[in-house]
Amino acid sequence: MAEFEPRDEQSFSNQNSSAHPLIMIFGLGNPLLGDDGVGWVIAQEVESRLAGAQKNLEAKSNFRVEVDRLSLGGLSLMERLAGCQKAILIDSIVTGCNPLGTVLHFEMEDLPAEYIGHLSSAHDVSLPTALEVGNSMGVQLPQKIVIVAVESQIIYEFSEEISPPVAAAVPEATTMVLNLLDQLIN
Amino acid sequence: MQRITIDPITRLEGHGKIEIFLNEEGDVANTYFQIPELRGFERFCVGRPVEEMPLLVNRICGVCPEAHHMAAAKAADAVYKVDPPPTAKKLRELLYSGFYFTDHTTHFYALGGPDFVMGPDAPVAERNILGVIHKVGLEIGGKVIQARKNGHRVVEIIGGRKVHPCTSIPGGLTKGITEEQRKEIEEIGKWGIDFAHFSLKLFNDLVLGNKTYLDLILGDIYTHHTYSMGMVDENNKVNFYDGKVSIVDPEGTRIGKYAPSEYTDWIAEHVEPWTYLKFPYLKKVGWKGFVDGKDSGVYFATPLSRLNASDGMATPLAQEEYDKFYKTLGGKPVHQRLTTHWARLIELLYAAERIVELATDPEITSPNFHTVPTQTPTEGVGIVEAPRGTLTHHYKTDERGILTEVNLIVGTTNNYAPISMSVKKAAQSLIKKGTVVNEGLLNMVEMAFRLYDPCFGCATHSLPGQMPLQVTIRDSNGNPIEVLKQFC
Repeated sequence: MAEFEPRDEQSFSNQNSSAHPLIMIFGLGNPLLGDDGVGWVIAQEVESRLAGAQKNLEAKSNFRVEVDRLSLGGLSLMERLAGCQKAILIDSIVTGCNPLGTVLHFEMEDLPAEYIGHLSSAHDVSLPTALEVGNSMGVQLPQKIVIVAVESQIIYEFSEEISPPVAAAVPEATTMVLNLLDQLIN
Repeated sequence: MQRITIDPITRLEGHGKIEIFLNEEGDVANTYFQIPELRGFERFCVGRPVEEMPLLVNRICGVCPEAHHMAAAKAADAVYKVDPPPTAKKLRELLYSGFYFTDHTTHFYALGGPDFVMGPDAPVAERNILGVIHKVGLEIGGKVIQARKNGHRVVEIIGGRKVHPCTSIPGGLTKGITEEQRKEIEEIGKWGIDFAHFSLKLFNDLVLGNKTYLDLILGDIYTHHTYSMGMVDENNKVNFYDGKVSIVDPEGTRIGKYAPSEYTDWIAEHVEPWTYLKFPYLKKVGWKGFVDGKDSGVYFATPLSRLNASDGMATPLAQEEYDKFYKTLGGKPVHQRLTTHWARLIELLYAAERIVELATDPEITSPNFHTVPTQTPTEGVGIVEAPRGTLTHHYKTDERGILTEVNLIVGTTNNYAPISMSVKKAAQSLIKKGTVVNEGLLNMVEMAFRLYDPCFGCATHSLPGQMPLQVTIRDSNGNPIEVLKQFC
């Protein structure tokens, strides 16, 4: 059951104890819904690769890095992003224009409206709208949000299995996240 | 009218779809509301230990994990035939009231409210929470953010995490709360009562004070006479967490109440060839099609139906609003479905009052929050009221507590038949021969289902996971003459 108990939705008060500015890396999706969970797998991999290196990272760059896995969108995701300076969101995407497993990355503002997926929900507003709400309320939100997404297929059957071409993209996506993190820090 | 056959293979998945069929005169002959469904969850659960369910079901849906968590915990209690101690029940209900507070706030300010605050035919770019903030004032945005934060905080204190609680287990909870946490929750509840009053005043001023909106709400377009469903306590007052499910007929007479274990005596499911989702109906009345009336087993399960199915609210301020609601609308039951938005705010006030009541209960900080199960697990049903309808979890296990069968009737599914009927009636009322179908008119059709606060678990889908709505209008030969798309 460990996979169902991520350190998600924790209190901000516990996370902002350090004076170092914060970079958040969030894997988004549902780990029980096949390819939809690829964001979680990549975030887990990123977390493993960063393990032990974080203290050095903080000393070298002055940034703290937090990695988490979330099933949130819209206002809830905006609220979770509060307090950080920069963020990387990792997600699955279905454009239908790329082979399965293609790894894409773009800035939040370059994301076309029809692909805002997990950043929104049927019972919430989209993340861009939520960020606008947060900004107008004076919530401290990241100045820069980068999205890393893996071309996937829509799954309607509950399963913990990720399809082979999407699973094969995990190393490339992990490297991309780490490279982007490096750019954000420097 | 030419007969239109919908081939099952054309069942569309990936987004909500309304098909509107016109007759030869150009009026609406029929409509179909189709939605995607995530399948196989029941199968996915079989073979797992039942005590995992309160955690596992958090992931069924991105919208109401707390409701699934509670229904699963209650079903697991029933499987183990264990009665949690009073403190555990009160803490669970307290957590649940915090969840309701956040959920109802979000629906009113971000989803349902903008139709009224900005106007049903306001440009789509303005008809959202940002429009509400610009119109009502910056202060309102801050209050909404604070309200959500407060509700999440109650869930976090008792449930161990925000949004996806993890502390309910068979027999109660894994932890209690301290005196300091109790005080924090009490303050949150008091703040919530003021916020709920503020929200009710906003509704009163902006909606009830506007004759155009009032005519829309009280008119025939959004009215249906069906049975009402809602959970009530031993005094027949609304309760979200525990009690029996009350059923009231379209004239307001209670035809009965059922305990969770009796749900199969009351609820059956109808199948239509054009959709994968099933339509629950009242077994004792029977399925007579998508029709109103006492002879039709169609029921609805929403904030409005919960008020209709009860004898009142269990807290004094919410009771005052309940009395005002029925006095203003001409007595019980109320069938004008757009009043659901008002009923939701009365429930918001109840949730806040209930937070204060439970947080000031002398037992709430007791360390007696768990009863160790000692019976051999077998079978159990747990029911809670999700914000968007009665939620039923039914589990069967072997003697080791390993799941052998799982059945869920989720909140919105209860409303699939009434939503379909509401969409049809709105379309028939608004689209006549020669009508120019524009975005504003489309929104008024959407309002017919948005009032139900529907959730189809779409937040858990891969990108594009947002639920876009596509409306296709077809002529009498079934050919599309207009296709409109927008996110809902």
